[in-house]
Amino acid sequence: MSTSGSANVVVIGGGHNGLVCATLLARAGRQVTLLERRGFLGGLAAGEEFHPGFRSAGVHLDTAFFRPALAAELDLEHHGLRWREREAAVYAPDLAGGDPVVLYPDDVEATAGGLQTHSDSDGSAYRSWCSDVGRLGGFLRGVLDAPPPDVDSRTLGALWELGKKGLALRRLGQRDMAELLRVGPMCVADWLNERFATDRLKVLLAVSAITSAWTGPWSAGTALPLLVAQATRSRSVQGGPAALVDALTAAARAAGVTLRTDCEVQRLLIEDGVVKGVRLQDGEELEAGHVASSCDPKQLLLDLVSPRDLPPVLVRRGLAWRNRGTTAVVHLALDGPLHFTGCEKAVPDGLVERAILGTDIDSLERAFDPVKYGELPDRPCLEVSVPSVSSQGIAPMAPKGQHVVTIQAHFVPYGLAGGWNEDRRQELRECVLKTLACYAPDAPGRVLAAQVLTPYDLEQRYRLSGGHLQHGEHTLDQFLHLRPNPECARYATPLKGLWMCGSGSHPGGGVTGMPGALGARSML
Amino acid sequence: MAQTWDAIIVGGGHNGLVCAAYLAKAGRKVLVLERRHVLGGAAVSEEVHPGFTFSVCSYVVSLLRPWIIRDLQLSRFGLELIPLECSFLPLPDGRSLARWDDAERTRREIAGFSQRDSEVYPEFGQAMAQMARVVKPLIDAPAPKPGSLHPRDLAELLKLGKHIGGVSAEHRLLLSKMMTMSAADFLDEWFESDVLKAPMSVSGIIGTFQGVRSPGTAYVLLHHYMGEIDGAFRSWGFSKGGTGQISNAIAAAARHYGAEIRTEAAIDHVMVSGGRATGVVLEDGTELRAKTVVSSVDPNRTFLKMVGKQHLPDDFVTQIGRYKLRGSSGKVNLAVDRLPSFSSRPGLGGHLRGDIAICPSVEYLERAYDQAKYGEFSSRPYLNVVVPSVVDPSVAPPGQHVISCFVQYAPYNLKTGPESWPEHREAFGDAVVDTLAEYVPDLKESILHRQVLTPWDLEQEFGLTEGNIFHGELSLEQLAFQRPAPGWAHYKTPLNALWMCGSGTHPGGGIMGACGALAARAMLTGRHV
Repeated sequence: MSTSGSANVVVIGGGHNGLVCATLLARAGRQVTLLERRGFLGGLAAGEEFHPGFRSAGVHLDTAFFRPALAAELDLEHHGLRWREREAAVYAPDLAGGDPVVLYPDDVEATAGGLQTHSDSDGSAYRSWCSDVGRLGGFLRGVLDAPPPDVDSRTLGALWELGKKGLALRRLGQRDMAELLRVGPMCVADWLNERFATDRLKVLLAVSAITSAWTGPWSAGTALPLLVAQATRSRSVQGGPAALVDALTAAARAAGVTLRTDCEVQRLLIEDGVVKGVRLQDGEELEAGHVASSCDPKQLLLDLVSPRDLPPVLVRRGLAWRNRGTTAVVHLALDGPLHFTGCEKAVPDGLVERAILGTDIDSLERAFDPVKYGELPDRPCLEVSVPSVSSQGIAPMAPKGQHVVTIQAHFVPYGLAGGWNEDRRQELRECVLKTLACYAPDAPGRVLAAQVLTPYDLEQRYRLSGGHLQHGEHTLDQFLHLRPNPECARYATPLKGLWMCGSGSHPGGGVTGMPGALGARSML
Repeated sequence: MAQTWDAIIVGGGHNGLVCAAYLAKAGRKVLVLERRHVLGGAAVSEEVHPGFTFSVCSYVVSLLRPWIIRDLQLSRFGLELIPLECSFLPLPDGRSLARWDDAERTRREIAGFSQRDSEVYPEFGQAMAQMARVVKPLIDAPAPKPGSLHPRDLAELLKLGKHIGGVSAEHRLLLSKMMTMSAADFLDEWFESDVLKAPMSVSGIIGTFQGVRSPGTAYVLLHHYMGEIDGAFRSWGFSKGGTGQISNAIAAAARHYGAEIRTEAAIDHVMVSGGRATGVVLEDGTELRAKTVVSSVDPNRTFLKMVGKQHLPDDFVTQIGRYKLRGSSGKVNLAVDRLPSFSSRPGLGGHLRGDIAICPSVEYLERAYDQAKYGEFSSRPYLNVVVPSVVDPSVAPPGQHVISCFVQYAPYNLKTGPESWPEHREAFGDAVVDTLAEYVPDLKESILHRQVLTPWDLEQEFGLTEGNIFHGELSLEQLAFQRPAPGWAHYKTPLNALWMCGSGTHPGGGIMGACGALAARAMLTGRHV
């Protein structure tokens, strides 16, 4: 047995949450070692070369949910982080070649103005929707950026916290409170249909409700993820997730975190319900008083901890955790810019950075239907990003004049009937390119290389159970104090010294940094 | 000037009648007005074919509150409930599963499919019964008022918190999962076999435009464990003489206490003057005045058709406009000349003395839903079939039978528009008969008469807006303090002297009677009538 000293805390996983957690712990004076299985840090936010001269920007492209207050706390700006001046506009091109519907995430007026050309009422409807959501957003942010309520404890402190939440809810006023309780459990289709007329506007908004979900827009409970996304969106990071990871890594180093890559944890060392450290694949054992895991709950509970060390209730919870991946990721190396039909007028330089391809809410629902039977959709809903557009002149991701396109395709089942193999992967590639071609006819001809990551590939590559990008579905029964389960919801687990700090914990997936931060705070 | 009533009740369905009976019992002068020639609304028996009495719409009962049966002495007025003995699931491959009252017999049947499931099944039943006990007080009391700072409401909320707080943490987790998960996902955590998951998950979608995989459908599973007949938990039953007998018994009680009931009295609109409801005007122009008007018809019809937007606050009109009623089910009633004989269990048997589910798998149900989402009726629908004549020979001539098929999905909003339903009615009826005939080979030859009710018919005939059998979807955002609209869940309406007492109020649809009784209680305790 080789022992590499007695680091105080081991953090498993070098994604953004692991980095945030490790840094906060190190800053508070702990001896922290962070272990990453792959050869580099960043997890789903890490950029990688996928074709000579072409780098992807990672799988999670949207950095607008990383909390500015957390970035400030970590001094990320000192470590090179820059916020974007303007957010990328999101386009919904028209299948028939007409004008696109455009959403400017940081500009309500510009969005509303543009909507006038599609509908007489949607401009003002959008303004009032944004203001309604904005009022509810304050309360939601308060809930999301604090540990989940401790509903089972009867201590005075827990009741006080719960009471405060109740009062904050009450402070919204009767009307807004009623609206929050009404909208929360609704399906996003009903909510958007109540408010808007333009089909593609609804697509642009609904997509955040169905990303990585095992639910379509007509499923109850899908309004909440949209509400949460609207409430927590702020500025994006210049240079995308890769730049964020660079800053986080620099901050971790500066705080004194020992960063070890190519270190795969085999299992946790546990004696009598107390964590003693971890054992790596190569046999090395690291002693630690505390272990914080940023990997997904299923992996932690069912793979990394031996069943004989785990209370039976947690085995049950691990098995019941729902993480059925439904998103595939395709990186394309493109021999030129991506042109969408009909967008020429709206985008003078022809460079669309983000687009969502779907005709109406029902087209999203139709893309969802086959997932239930383990089948591929005829026409998936595509979230298209061209990260190389904004990286030009900063850190080029592609040779000059060429581009990197990253597509998140919804819905692609992890549990494909008959299983995933090379043929089915090619079938998915064709299906995605065919759908893309409906909106950007010359795109398939410009493809130099394509990297297709099915949910199964995502599981293997990122060691992500179920290939689920959020580490577990965002549904009401896996939300707040139920994420990932009542025993572990407040980051501590029933095993002494074992903590959770990944997307499987409150407030959940996406590049927010919050599970890592709240996990670290609980430990401290 | 005509007579003045203390209360005029709009609609002679079971809730309207219960409300009338309670008000009359308290000494109020009450008039019930029913549009059709028979009482009962959707709980009605009619001789549709000579010698055959159909429970035209609603066909089984379980949630009728026992305290209402006692208060109104319904047994004295002819109510007689016969418990269902079995839940039967025939499969296309000739196998079948019957779940009986007898636990051991059920265990053996399930073990034929899955040993593991047969062991889990009783455990599941116990957990559900405990959950049902937690939830039951909610349907027997007015909805809680979260957000209200009135001491009385806070005390109620605290009591509710204590009640739920008294449940074990494990059960509280189960409850939160039930309230939010899909029925199929929830059952996946317990069972492996489709023969349990499919027929059990359907209770989550009855009357709702959702699939068994849609979140929020799990809690309705509880309804099946909340039913009680004569105090026996978890029983469903037939009403002797058809469900209409329930309405007739309640009507007899109401009359006994002095209420007057008129049929074929269709209401044109509610009279409003000086900001209050003052009575109703019938379609024939008759004006009837009352101190209060109580509507047991659905919220949409009550407010947007009978009262009119102009008398209501804009906000409220918007809320009612958003209230979802999308009907998703139809009904096919058959008069047959012989006993329906299932190929998986031929001939007469206990399996016919209960309800029969045609839903061989979860996928079957989900595909039926997928088709309906885009405006078509399911070509292979879910059927809930009962043959009441087996246990109650009074409803059919000797040797002959009535078969009642509840059918889902039949979306009100067809692709070609709801008004095109009459053109599709027979095709819809054929889909149902074809589906059932796969399990009952000589069904088609045995049919003497077929009655097909599409959601459009339910709307036109029975006044159920969009054909919704529960007066509005039982989705989470339309329950309790949000039914039918936030702030208006306590039977009172924004229009003075107008009250609600139908299934569009808390605790919702089904033959419970609780809406009518709680509304009456609210009016009486507040001295509003």
